[in-house]
Amino acid sequence: MKFLTSNFLKCSVQDCDKSNDNFPLKYNGESCQLEQDESLDFNPEFLLRIIDRVDWPAVVSVASDLGNTSLPNGKPDFTNEELSEEDMVILRDLHTLLIQTNIVEGEMTCRNCGHIYYIKNSIPNLLLPPHLA
Amino acid sequence: MLPTPNVSCDYDKVYEPSEDTFLLLDALEKDQSFLNGFLSSKVNVVCEIGCGSGIVTTFMMQNYIPSKYAIYIPTDVSPWAMESMVDTAGRNECDQRILSPVRMNLARSMRSQQIDLLVFNPPYVPAETVPELPQETEAPGNEVSGINGDWLDLALLGGDDGMVVTWQLLHSLHEFLAPNGVAYILFCARNKPLDVVKFMQLQGWKCELVKHRKAGWEVLSIYKFYR
Repeated sequence: MKFLTSNFLKCSVQDCDKSNDNFPLKYNGESCQLEQDESLDFNPEFLLRIIDRVDWPAVVSVASDLGNTSLPNGKPDFTNEELSEEDMVILRDLHTLLIQTNIVEGEMTCRNCGHIYYIKNSIPNLLLPPHLA
Repeated sequence: MLPTPNVSCDYDKVYEPSEDTFLLLDALEKDQSFLNGFLSSKVNVVCEIGCGSGIVTTFMMQNYIPSKYAIYIPTDVSPWAMESMVDTAGRNECDQRILSPVRMNLARSMRSQQIDLLVFNPPYVPAETVPELPQETEAPGNEVSGINGDWLDLALLGGDDGMVVTWQLLHSLHEFLAPNGVAYILFCARNKPLDVVKFMQLQGWKCELVKHRKAGWEVLSIYKFYR
């Protein structure tokens, strides 16, 4: 799964919807195997729209789960009409993180109920066992 | 007419693209410019539920439906569908699109109200019951069990009126869809789509017939639902 996808996944247990801890899931950094997909081109215009759309605290949280603690706490602001060189550096970094980073294998856990979900062959499995479904 | 994606899957495991699939493609093609105008110019999250072979999501990716700026997160309960989705996308030159399939029930694991375009070709065939999910153990490394045919039944059989799964989705539609999102859902005549439309309108949804077609002994239709 793409790193970006983590910004849209919550725990599947319906009771957890009542808590604020069902999103983002907690990624187990030790079990997570990452791969970079270099084939996806850097598209600043697309990326700006993605950054606009994402829940930034969740990006920071998952990045830190995976060992990247370099992100600022606040969402980067690109409101200047022209992107500066510095902006481009940040955008390239975020392209690498959000779009090119795949979590190939690993585990993620709900912070509320503790249920563990697995990622295998880049596909996260959010199905619940029958007794929880 | 937009080209149909090249698909080659094991049809003992995933649903083979059929009349219903092609009607859905035609409906999305017909509404291509509607979608481009209706959805915001922000990034659109596109979620096809029950992606099966992956042909519908691939078609959307190939043809920039709903727009150039979309993230595709197709879902299915079947592991074979996940495999086929990735394979079909790979056969059709959409390697610059953002695709990340997730195995889940409907859109139950999607953060609430994030989906801008939802597409669903449900198991719509009336049957006594909706089959249960084939059992498999959860620990990593275990092979997927379940007889292949069980997964196919899940793609087809919709219980009472063929509507059990579709109702699950419709009752949660306000949870799944972004406030300005739109859902395209396929029905057959035995699903009594006009009754569904009446019910959904009472809940404040706009419902429009996008396409319908007689396919053999079935009459299929695609409706779109939005606020």
